[in-house]
Amino acid sequence: MTARRIIGLLFASPWIITFIIFWFFPLLYSLYLGFTDYRLMQPSYNWVGLNNFSALLSDQSFLQSLKNTLIFVVGTIPVTTATALILALLVEKNFPGRTLFRSGFFMPSITSMVVIALVFTNLYSRGGYIYLLAKILGLSPPENGLLLSDSTALYSIMAMDIWMSVGYYMLLFLAGLKSIPKELYEAAEVAGAGTWRKFRSITLPLLKPVALFIVVINTIKSFQVFVEIFVMTKGKYGTSTAVFFIYNTGLEYFEFGYASAAAYILFVIIALISLVQFRLFRQRSLW
Amino acid sequence: MVRAIKYILLVFILLVMVFPLFWMFRVSLLPAVGSLSFDQFLSSIYTFEIYYDIFTTGKMTVYLLNSALVGITVTGGNILFCFMVGYALSRYRFIGKNFWFYSVVFVLMIPVHIIIIPLYLLIHKLGLYDTYGALILPFLVNPIGVFLIKQYIDTLPNSMEEAARIDGAGELKILFQIVMPLCKPALAVLAIQVFLTNWNSFLFPFILTGSESMRTLPVGLALYQGHQAIDWPHLMAGSTLAVIPVLLIFLLFQRQIVSGITSGAIKQ
Repeated sequence: MTARRIIGLLFASPWIITFIIFWFFPLLYSLYLGFTDYRLMQPSYNWVGLNNFSALLSDQSFLQSLKNTLIFVVGTIPVTTATALILALLVEKNFPGRTLFRSGFFMPSITSMVVIALVFTNLYSRGGYIYLLAKILGLSPPENGLLLSDSTALYSIMAMDIWMSVGYYMLLFLAGLKSIPKELYEAAEVAGAGTWRKFRSITLPLLKPVALFIVVINTIKSFQVFVEIFVMTKGKYGTSTAVFFIYNTGLEYFEFGYASAAAYILFVIIALISLVQFRLFRQRSLW
Repeated sequence: MVRAIKYILLVFILLVMVFPLFWMFRVSLLPAVGSLSFDQFLSSIYTFEIYYDIFTTGKMTVYLLNSALVGITVTGGNILFCFMVGYALSRYRFIGKNFWFYSVVFVLMIPVHIIIIPLYLLIHKLGLYDTYGALILPFLVNPIGVFLIKQYIDTLPNSMEEAARIDGAGELKILFQIVMPLCKPALAVLAIQVFLTNWNSFLFPFILTGSESMRTLPVGLALYQGHQAIDWPHLMAGSTLAVIPVLLIFLLFQRQIVSGITSGAIKQ
């Protein structure tokens, strides 16, 4: 019996080792660093207590990056979720060509973010068709391209993110739709319910768990938006986000302590918002 | 009538969704030029010049090989290790088993941005910075994979394992010859998901390497510098090369990709 226990531990050891070395230790290490003034080119470092945290809370560039992140999250998630639901409803029923549409909608979301960001950098520049389209529609886009202006850069990146991720969430909604028992709709029809009524009283309430899951994972993901910012604007033109700030402070200016403190502030914000979302969604009145 | 409108709408959305990738491919077939205009897009100039250039002179081949090497190693590691760990968590009893299971769920939920700085420092201290070790070792077991396999093995009856054990089969033999074949569907889902994620991954390969010869394709593309202006045909050709394996895997294993994505969601 003890031999079996040892074998079990042995089989689990790849995870145990990975967890301790690459997750648990870094997590604690970064928490510790957040309370120090550790930076490169400095032989020793000191415990500075809450200095980093208080400095961050009055650091304009950090606060601005948090604000941009918040705009990103609040601006994209409702649109992404609603569009994904509409797409799912459009391709739910069986009809000729359904697989083609599903695959096409889904394709962008498994493509590399770097590739998507590069392609859209092109599309948003003066030679790209999105820029031209904006011009034709009389939207008077900025002279140098959509990414090279404070007024449009962040929103352009947000639009790209919505475009990229709707297909992924569509799939999750499709799985949710599939799990709704057909008998419910049949019973509702017998009772004389119309399409809207069925949608309102059966589909929407039963999709609630999937919708909650989508909003929560998308929130966690969107708060960490980084790759597209790095590739498309390098944080310029009012697009610096929180993770971009952490990257820039920590790995461009090598302020390890300060950047770690910023990372923990973001961590706490994400945790709190996820908690609030769970609470809110549990109330029935929202639907 | 309603049907026609629905089809028109769907075709329109489909165009919106796939046209950027089509544009990417089109630009990669243009000759290397300074700036790009819409007229060139419509022009009848098609050339594979850039692809020829990439495969004969460019650094892009190095990036491509790095991506393939790292992707295949990490995928292989995950198949083996996630399977072993998932099996242990499902079938064995050992010290701290619940704790280790919760650690999997915990890592699944924490935002990865938090380990950017400490992992960078740790990799430096371990002497792994700018090596294949940095690109591979931290990613050989991933929590999603362990979770997926554990849940899958939980649903399998253990009568075959018990029978084999009574027949005197060793634990390793049971693991690899009896349980592993039964887990093939889950392992396929895992392998595809891990490979795609790794192939597309940018953040960690970017922060854990420094020299050009260690770049994976996404890192190489993101840091690609043209001589003067942005060299769009080269960038889009490299992007196309990054997308082709994804497209192939997608066409071949669509079912596994979809089930990998949805199985996680439904359980939550």
